[in-house]
Amino acid sequence: MNTVEVLLVLVGIPLAVIAVLALLTLPGGRKRTRYKPGQPWDHAPVWYEPHPEHPVDAGHGPAPSSGPAAVPGASTAALGSSVYPEQPGERNTDSQGGAGPAAAQGASAHGASAAPRRVDAGPLGGARGTW
Amino acid sequence: MTRALETESHDTATEHTAASRSEEAEQSRLDEIFTFQELARLDEALTMSSRETGLRFTLYIGDLGKRTRVQAEEMHARSGAHPTDSVLIAVSPGQKVVEVVTGAGASRRLPDRACALAVLSMTTSFASGDLVGGIINGLRQLSDQAGHPASLRRH
Repeated sequence: MNTVEVLLVLVGIPLAVIAVLALLTLPGGRKRTRYKPGQPWDHAPVWYEPHPEHPVDAGHGPAPSSGPAAVPGASTAALGSSVYPEQPGERNTDSQGGAGPAAAQGASAHGASAAPRRVDAGPLGGARGTW
Repeated sequence: MTRALETESHDTATEHTAASRSEEAEQSRLDEIFTFQELARLDEALTMSSRETGLRFTLYIGDLGKRTRVQAEEMHARSGAHPTDSVLIAVSPGQKVVEVVTGAGASRRLPDRACALAVLSMTTSFASGDLVGGIINGLRQLSDQAGHPASLRRH
């Protein structure tokens, strides 16, 4: 085993292993800037809402006819919080009868950007925080 | 390791069928702010806390204007058909403000002190740059405080 072979085995193979591992683990593709406190937030506003529990029995929880929530005066509609956005009219496919589907169809005709009507929720509570 | 959501998609739309869901995701860049893993964690946290408590948790991330509280309450009023039982968590990372708004029914189960405690833990995470972790911890605290009402128990 001459010097070249020793170098190949003891240096070349570890370097090859390291290169393969680096290629596998180092992230490629698009970079996403991580949020750091104090930096401006340039993204469009998003509004996530939970999945409806049982679209068929709307006894409690979100009514299937509620339509996507929307920011007044802006073109932001609440996404279903899943990875894919809810398609217009998708929500009312499972609801049966009642006045709900008609209202939902009316809302979906205007697209997702139509702000739902304002509902009075009584005395509001909550908290506020800054960082 | 299969990453179905990150595979390159091909032009699958025909005259009669729509494009595939993966193409929609590519066009709208749903993972612009958060990765798909983070979105899945947020999704699970929102859905499970809403199911556990019977309240409806929604999460807004974006600018809240000059009067953050007024804007958050306005959005809470439009957050669905029954805002009485819904809780809005509005985070404005640019302004470094988080607002939690509870409706009248929700505030009986979630007193302001509990909300303030959750907000405190959220802001601690936000200050270190962990948006998703803070939101998920806050949701967990809020849903733990609200509890699991007997009317939702089925077994």
